[in-house]
Amino acid sequence: MSKEMKFKEIIAQYCEVSAKDMKNALRFREDLGFSSLDFMSFLGELEDEFDVELEQEKATSIHTVGEALELLNELEMAG
Amino acid sequence: MRNIRDIWDKAVYDFRDITALRWLEKKNIHEKSYGELDHIIRNVRTLLEKENFRGSHIALIGASSTEWLEGYLGIVTGTNIAVPLDAGLPDDELIELLNRSDSEALFLGASRANLYKKVYENCPKIKRIWMLTENEFSNFSEAEFDVPGAMEYEIATIIYTSGTTGKSKGVMLTQQNLSDNVRAVEYDAKPGCVTLSVLPIHHAYCLVMDYLKTLSLGATICINDSFMHMVRNMSIFKPEVMLMVPLMIETIYKKIAAAEADAFLRVGVNKDDGSSEVGISKAESSTEESSLMIKKALAAKVFGGNLRIIFTGGAHLDPFYIEKFAEYGVDILEGYGMSECSPVITTNTVSNHKPGSIGRPVDNVELAFENGEILVRGTSVMKGYYKMPAETEDALKDGWLHTGDKGYLDEDGYLFINGRVKNLIIMSNGENVSPEEIENKLSLNPLISEVIVTGENNGLTARIYPETELVDKKGLSPEELREEIQRFIDEYNSGQPTYRHITAIVIRRTPFIRNSTGKIKRQDALKENPAA
Repeated sequence: MSKEMKFKEIIAQYCEVSAKDMKNALRFREDLGFSSLDFMSFLGELEDEFDVELEQEKATSIHTVGEALELLNELEMAG
Repeated sequence: MRNIRDIWDKAVYDFRDITALRWLEKKNIHEKSYGELDHIIRNVRTLLEKENFRGSHIALIGASSTEWLEGYLGIVTGTNIAVPLDAGLPDDELIELLNRSDSEALFLGASRANLYKKVYENCPKIKRIWMLTENEFSNFSEAEFDVPGAMEYEIATIIYTSGTTGKSKGVMLTQQNLSDNVRAVEYDAKPGCVTLSVLPIHHAYCLVMDYLKTLSLGATICINDSFMHMVRNMSIFKPEVMLMVPLMIETIYKKIAAAEADAFLRVGVNKDDGSSEVGISKAESSTEESSLMIKKALAAKVFGGNLRIIFTGGAHLDPFYIEKFAEYGVDILEGYGMSECSPVITTNTVSNHKPGSIGRPVDNVELAFENGEILVRGTSVMKGYYKMPAETEDALKDGWLHTGDKGYLDEDGYLFINGRVKNLIIMSNGENVSPEEIENKLSLNPLISEVIVTGENNGLTARIYPETELVDKKGLSPEELREEIQRFIDEYNSGQPTYRHITAIVIRRTPFIRNSTGKIKRQDALKENPAA
């Protein structure tokens, strides 16, 4: 499974949208119905799954699926 | 003596060598026994005495940590008064609360070290600031003498809670208020029972139930470093008991439901060797028994394997979750409380519980009803709001606390809630939000003529009727108006803790419907005004 698909599958756990329909422009709260705690829990899962460390402040400024993916890519490149 | 000192000294005497706290530092687990914790607490207590703090208000700003607890217990097991504040509040609000609470000293968490200078500059009563760090605490000199505990009628803690008038109120809880609540709550834990604390420590529910109560029983409390890591920490610490707000239960349920669907799918997919990733063969998977095995395996994966009880309160929980978690061997026990009652009023217990209800009153509490509103009387009811006599008079009448919640007792003595008298919005994470407080801030924008904040879909919606004259004058299209208001809301959000963020905006076409005295009818805030 590709990294992007794995990433989207994690998101899909918290909402009604499946990983294959997960468009990058979708917003976590407004479009996917994430609660603030869903989002925090999702960030924790990203850390565990992809072995990266997120700065909470930076991560919580993310609004869309695409922005989260971009941050993950940046962290992986840096790591 | 009915004070916190008595509870703590007894715990240290009975459980000296048992681990009291466990926490993570860069993935390494650290721990401290009751005896080790008491050593530092005594040092804090005598330090305060040596620096002439007696009956003084001493604030704490920081996330849960060993030092926070040592600071708190050092304050309240002596003769001083703790003022725990929300470390997530903006700087100006914290400064205002430090001044309004007449705090004379401060224990400050490293994450808010930016406040150090500002507090000295803007809070004239603050004489000392200590950082909530291991380094600072290890430098406190050894206690050469001890200080007695406070009298039961003395104030132990002032907890700030959202006020309906837009100004937070300082709930004054006495030594007896808190210690009686600790004693009255039924909590099924033996010495050494492992708990994981995930709620913010400045909240009465967390402070009393997660810390004071469990310490009185000799439990081992594990500190969750961030909600981001809660699930990971559950598998590291393997707690037996946790306190959660409903929103946390909803989030965990999503995870476990997804993992369960995945597990069943995998059982069906792995045809080659007839096994699955959860250790159950395909043949077995078709039976009821194997379904239980899958759930047990998942409970071990998500909950750590030992979790048997989740206490919850602070907001409504759909009974659906109680049923679902029971399938994983976890009892969810709902309770009801408020800071003003130290905080537990009613609770379900392992032996006495009813889904949908918030339980029976604890031993030191009496309930009554006035026009459907729940009234509470008992030894855990607060002394009053700090320096707010009018608000105290409104809330406390003849010793009865007016809760602002509506409810009823069923024939078995279980309490059910069915509405609210006041306007507070109760978020699923247990935070109480005063809509007026936010509305006052938002209405400062000249483009906003009227605004009502409502709690919807786990977030806050600002329903705005714009200042039409100004909109016309500026020649703003509906899109431009929305963009301009959104920019203002974004700016407001950036200075607020997450639970106070406005997550949706509705621009109204008509002004709000008002009652005969000219007040906006909140219950009709979602309707357009047919008369306009």
